[in-house]
Amino acid sequence: MDKPKFVYVTYIRTTPEKLWRALVDPEFTRQYWCDTVQECEWKVGAAWGIVIPGGRVINSGQVLEIDPPRKLVLTWRKELDPEMRAEGHSRMTYEIEQLPHSVKLTVTHESDMPGSKLIQAVSQGWPLVLASLKSLLETGSSLEETRHWPKEFCLTEKQ
Amino acid sequence: MDKPKFVYVTYIRTTPEKLWQALVDPEFTRQYWCDTVQECEWKVGAAWRIMIPDGRVADSGKVLELDPPRKLVLSWRNEFRPELNAEGYSRLTYEIEQMPHSLKLTVTHESDQPGSKLIEAVSQGWPMILASLKSLLETGSPLEETRHWPKEFCATQKQ
Repeated sequence: MDKPKFVYVTYIRTTPEKLWRALVDPEFTRQYWCDTVQECEWKVGAAWGIVIPGGRVINSGQVLEIDPPRKLVLTWRKELDPEMRAEGHSRMTYEIEQLPHSVKLTVTHESDMPGSKLIQAVSQGWPLVLASLKSLLETGSSLEETRHWPKEFCLTEKQ
Repeated sequence: MDKPKFVYVTYIRTTPEKLWQALVDPEFTRQYWCDTVQECEWKVGAAWRIMIPDGRVADSGKVLELDPPRKLVLSWRNEFRPELNAEGYSRLTYEIEQMPHSLKLTVTHESDQPGSKLIEAVSQGWPMILASLKSLLETGSPLEETRHWPKEFCATQKQ
């Protein structure tokens, strides 16, 4: 594939507003995204980063589009692994659609780099993070494997 | 792509036995799989069918591999859309892996038919069915969109 792309769709029994909040608010991301927070002013052009406990930035980029609670587009470069960092910025899109009784979330993570190792890595991580997000919103509890950094299963996430 | 393949991974807070039961038992599939049931003796070589409420067969095939509660492989042909039926048999695999606190479910649906419209169709349906299965096992309720056939969102499932 010339332009590697990972697309993941899930459906969550929640509201678009609650889902949006869970995607950006540290109080939520800590629970389902391996105790990380995002630093961002959440407006077009703003710098964006994912920070792990201890303060290191593991992913960085900027906000390209923001239309709460429907769409968010970020550039995303991995900072920890030199090979992935050298790939430069990928593009990550959240799209949120209201259905009659649930919300459809589409996550698209793509790169211009053929054979992108970054896309390969995030393809492993997204299903676990998004499953945990769904559990958190529907049951009040995230999946235990995603509550801490760098536990074994967060490491396989490579984010 | 010469050999179209759809792969979907999710994580569910349940036991392998409960997940297996939900995948095969009519009492469960009616709730999250649009009021369908599977007719099957659940042994290698057994005929397998998905039945929709009006008595029509939606899909048919046979059991290729069966290792409860870890793995199930079925051949799968669509029966009620002529252009999909003409493609013949696809292959569906469920793999269930135990994690420390949850289960990893990998669904692989593949075809030897280049440009398979069957794989295109099931790629739309699986995320909704599997999201509803996860909601059912974790909250006791499936997603409302998947309780009936052929409500609007089950129709887009094209199964």
